[in-house]
Amino acid sequence: MAASQTPSSPQAAPLVPREPFLTKRRAFSIVGLIIFLGFFAIPIYQTILLEMWDSPRQLTQQIVIGLTKGTYIAVIALGYTLVYGILELINFAHGDLFMIGAFLALIFISLFGLDPKTSSGITIFFSLIGILGLVMVCTALMNAGIERFAYRPLRNAPRLAPLISAIGMSFVLQNVGIFLGDGLIWDKLAAGLGSDAIGRVADAMGTQSVAPKNIPDLLPNGQVFFIPDSLKYTYKDLLVAVVSLGLLAGLYSFVRFTKLGKAIRATAQDRDAARLMGINADRTISVTFLIGGALGGAAGMIVGLYNGTALFSMGFTAGLLSFTAAVLGGIGNILGSALGGLLIGLILALSDQYIGTRWSNAVIFAILVLILLFRPTGLLGQEGGQKA
Amino acid sequence: MPNTKRYLITGGVGFAVGTFFLWNYPNLGLGSALLGGLVIAALCLLYSAPLADMIKAGLIAGMFGAVMTIVYGTHKPGVAIIAGMVSGLGAGLLAFQRSPQANPKKAAILGAEAGAIAGAWTGLSLFVMAFVIAPAAGIDAGDFAEHLSETVILADVLGLGSDILILLFAFAFSTLSGAILGAASCAARSLPLRPNIPLLAVIALPVLLIPLIDRAGNLLLLDALIPIYIFILLALGLNIVVGYAGLLDLGYAAFFAIGAYTTAMLSSPHLGINLSFWLVIWVAAAVAAIAGLTLGAPTLPLRGDYLAIVTLGFGEIVPILFRSLGGGPPGGTLTLRFFGMPIGIEQVDLTGGNKGINPISPPHLPLIGDFDPSNKIPWYYLLILIMGLAIFFINRLRDSRQGRAWMAMREDELAADAMGINVVRTKLLAFSMGAMFSGFGGAFYGAFIGAIFPSSFDFSVSIILLCMVILGGLGNMTGVIVGGLLIQGADKMFIPKGAELFRRIAETKARAEGSSTVGVSALQDLTQQRLLLFGIVLVVMMLVRPEGLLPNERRKAELHPDDDTINSNSVAAEAEADPSLAA
Repeated sequence: MAASQTPSSPQAAPLVPREPFLTKRRAFSIVGLIIFLGFFAIPIYQTILLEMWDSPRQLTQQIVIGLTKGTYIAVIALGYTLVYGILELINFAHGDLFMIGAFLALIFISLFGLDPKTSSGITIFFSLIGILGLVMVCTALMNAGIERFAYRPLRNAPRLAPLISAIGMSFVLQNVGIFLGDGLIWDKLAAGLGSDAIGRVADAMGTQSVAPKNIPDLLPNGQVFFIPDSLKYTYKDLLVAVVSLGLLAGLYSFVRFTKLGKAIRATAQDRDAARLMGINADRTISVTFLIGGALGGAAGMIVGLYNGTALFSMGFTAGLLSFTAAVLGGIGNILGSALGGLLIGLILALSDQYIGTRWSNAVIFAILVLILLFRPTGLLGQEGGQKA
Repeated sequence: MPNTKRYLITGGVGFAVGTFFLWNYPNLGLGSALLGGLVIAALCLLYSAPLADMIKAGLIAGMFGAVMTIVYGTHKPGVAIIAGMVSGLGAGLLAFQRSPQANPKKAAILGAEAGAIAGAWTGLSLFVMAFVIAPAAGIDAGDFAEHLSETVILADVLGLGSDILILLFAFAFSTLSGAILGAASCAARSLPLRPNIPLLAVIALPVLLIPLIDRAGNLLLLDALIPIYIFILLALGLNIVVGYAGLLDLGYAAFFAIGAYTTAMLSSPHLGINLSFWLVIWVAAAVAAIAGLTLGAPTLPLRGDYLAIVTLGFGEIVPILFRSLGGGPPGGTLTLRFFGMPIGIEQVDLTGGNKGINPISPPHLPLIGDFDPSNKIPWYYLLILIMGLAIFFINRLRDSRQGRAWMAMREDELAADAMGINVVRTKLLAFSMGAMFSGFGGAFYGAFIGAIFPSSFDFSVSIILLCMVILGGLGNMTGVIVGGLLIQGADKMFIPKGAELFRRIAETKARAEGSSTVGVSALQDLTQQRLLLFGIVLVVMMLVRPEGLLPNERRKAELHPDDDTINSNSVAAEAEADPSLAA
C-alpha cells in the first residue's frame, strides 16, 4: 500500500483508500445477478428489440403512454421520498392515502352531481379544480393526523417500530376505503339526513363494498394530435401530464426556494442540529406530511379520473411502483423521484407491450436490482455514509 | 404523569370499540357495554405499574380465556373449561415468573390466586356469552342448554343448571391449574436441572396434549393451529435474517413459495415425479437456501431500506415466475429470435400457472400409512417435531460463532468488518439459513394443504411474518413465538369465528326488524373489518410497546443507553423501567 502512494503529495492521499471497482463483494454481486437474471436470456432481449424495431409507431405510442403514467407515479413517489428524507421511514400508508384520494374524488363528484352528459364543460372544469383542492386538503389533514398519532410517539423507538405502525395504518386506511365504498352505509346516511346528494354517492358506490367503483369520465377525450394507425394523444393524457408536472414543479420550488422548504431540508439533514438552529422540527415534519398527503390525494384523484375506476386495494400496487420509483431515483431526493417515476412509467408501458402484462412487476424489480447494483443509493442518491 | 398517555390511548381505543358495538349491535345492549367496560378496565389496570403481580398475571391470562370462551363458546360451550384450564396454567406461570417464591406452598397460593382471577374472567365471559351474546346471535337458549349438557354429563347427575356448572368448572379448573403450576414452577426451580428445562416441559405439555383435547371436545382447533404453527416456523426463520443479522427482508414469502413449489413439483403427479416427502422436504430446504444465496448475492452492497426494497422486489418476482411458468395451453410453443433466426421453445407447464399444483402427495410412514388430510393429528405431531428441531437448531446457531457474527454485523457492519468478520459470508449465510427454515415450512405447507396456488405467497404473507417478528420482539425466539400466536391466532381463529358470531347477531337483528338479511353493510361484517382490526392492533401495540412484547434483553440494553436525550418522550424509557422481565 505504502509503496503505491506518491511521495510528493502526502496530503492528497485519502485516509481510506478508494475501493477498486471490482471488489470481492461486487464480484459476488455480479455473479449473483447473472443467476438472478438468468431467466431473461439473450434471445428474449433480441426478440424484444427486433419487435420494437419493426414498428416504431407502436414504440412511440408506448413511450407516450409510459411518460404519462410516469408523471403520476412520480407524484406519488414524491410523498414517499419527502417522508423518507425527513424521517427515514417507509411510509407504507402513503399508497393507501392515494387510494383514499381516488375515493374522495368520486364522493365529491357524486355529491356535486357532475355528469359528463349533462354538466357543461365549464362547470366540470371549475368543479374539478375545486374538488382537487378539497381532496388535497382532506388527504393532507389525514396524513398529518396519521403522523401525529401513529408515528410521532415512536420518534425515539427502535427503527422498525414506526415501520410496523405504518403498515398498520396502511391496513386501517384500506378498511376506510372499504367503508367509503359501501353503498349501504351511504344509503343509511342519506335516509337519515334526507339528502339526495348523499343518495347519489350511495348509487355511485353500489352494494358491493369491495367491488371496483366507476368514476365518471369527466376529462376531455379529444385528440391533441393523432397519426393514423397507431399514435394518438388525447387531451386527457395531456391534462394528466400537465397537472402532475405542475405539482412536481410546485413542490420542487417550494422545497428549494421558500423558508419552510429550507426548514424541511435542514430537518432532513440533521434533525437535532436543525432544532438547535431554532427550527421547530415537529412542525416541519407535520408540514412535510401535509404536503405528502396532498400530493398523494391529488395523484389519487388524477389516476382515478384517468383510469375511470377506484378500488380499495389500488393503493398497494401503486404504492409499490412509486416506492420503487423513489428508490430507483435515490430516495430522499426530489428530482430523483421524478426521474425514477418517469423511468418506471416507461418500463411499465414497454414491458406491458413487449413482454406481457403479467411480467411487468418482475421486469421493474429486475431493472431496479440492476441499477442498484451499480449505484447502491439510486440514480441521483448521495453516497450517504453509514446512514440507515 | 408518565402513564397518562397510556391511559388515554387504551381508554380511547376501548371507548371507540364500545361505541362501535353499541351502535352496530344495540341488541347486545348491556352485554356489550359490560364487555367494553371490562376490557377497558383490564387494559388500564395492566398499565398501572404498582399492581400485585398475581392480579396482573391473572388478568393477562384471563383475557385469553375470555376471548376464547366468547368466540368459540357459542358452538362448543365446553371450550370454556379448557380455556379456563389453559388460562389458569398461563396465570400460574406468569405469576411465578413475576415474583418467584422460594416456598412451594406460597408459590401454589400465588398461582391459585392468579388462576382464580383468570378463572373468574373465563367464567364471567361464559356468563355474558350464555345470557347476552347467544340469544342476540339467535342461538336458542334451549339448544344452548342441550349443547351444554352434551358436554357436561355431570349437569344431569348433580341437577345443577348446566351454565352455572360450567362456570364453576371453568373457575375451579383455572384456580387448580394455577396452583399446580405455581407449585410446579417452584419445585422445578429446586431441581438440579438447567432452569429452562422445567419451564419448557410445562409449556410442552399442553402443546403435546392439544390434539387429544381437540379430539375429545371435537373443537376442530387443529385446522387453525397447524397453519399458525407453520407461520411461526416461518417467522423463526425470518427472525434470523431480521432479528439476528439486522437485514430488513420484505420478501420472505418468496422462500416459502420456493419451498412449497419445490415440494409440489417433486412429489406430485403434476410433472410425473413422485418422490417421498421425507426426501423432498430436505430438497425443498436446500433449494430455498440456494435461493437465499441468490437473493443475497446481488444485494450485498446495499444497506438499510435499499435492501428492503430489493427483497420486496424479489418477493414480488418469485410468485410472478411461478404464476407465469405454466398454465399455458399444453404443447404450445414460444417463438423467440436469436440473431434473426427464429427458435421455438416448447412450453412446459411447470407450475400450473394460476391454478397451481393439485394434488400433492402426503407423507407416508410405515405404521400410519399415507397421512390422511382429514385426520390432522399425525400432521400436528410431525409439525411439532419440525418446529422443535428448528427451535433447537436456531437456538444453538444464535449462540454459535456464526450467530455472534450476525449480531455484531447487525450492530455495526463496519466495526464487524474491522474485527475480522467476513461480512460477505455472514450476510449470505443469514439469508440462506433464514430461507432454509422457510423451505421446511413451505414443504410441510404444500404437503399439508395438498395443493398450492401462487396467490397464497403474496406480499401480505411477508408483511404478516414481519409483523409477527417485530411485534413479539426482534431477535428473541420466545417473543417471536408469542407474537406469532397472537397475530395468527387473531387472524385465523378469533376474527373469523368472531365474524361469524357477529354476522349471526346482525342477521338476527335484521330478522327481528323484518328487513331482508341479504345486505349486511361493511360496518357490520367483521370479515371486512379484518384489516381494520389488524391495523389497529399493530399501531396500538407499537405505541404501547415499541420494542415488541418480549424484547431481546441484550438488544434492549444496547438500544437504550444512547437514546437521544433531547426528546423528552418517555415511552421507551418507561418500557425499560418496567420490571416485568426482571424474573
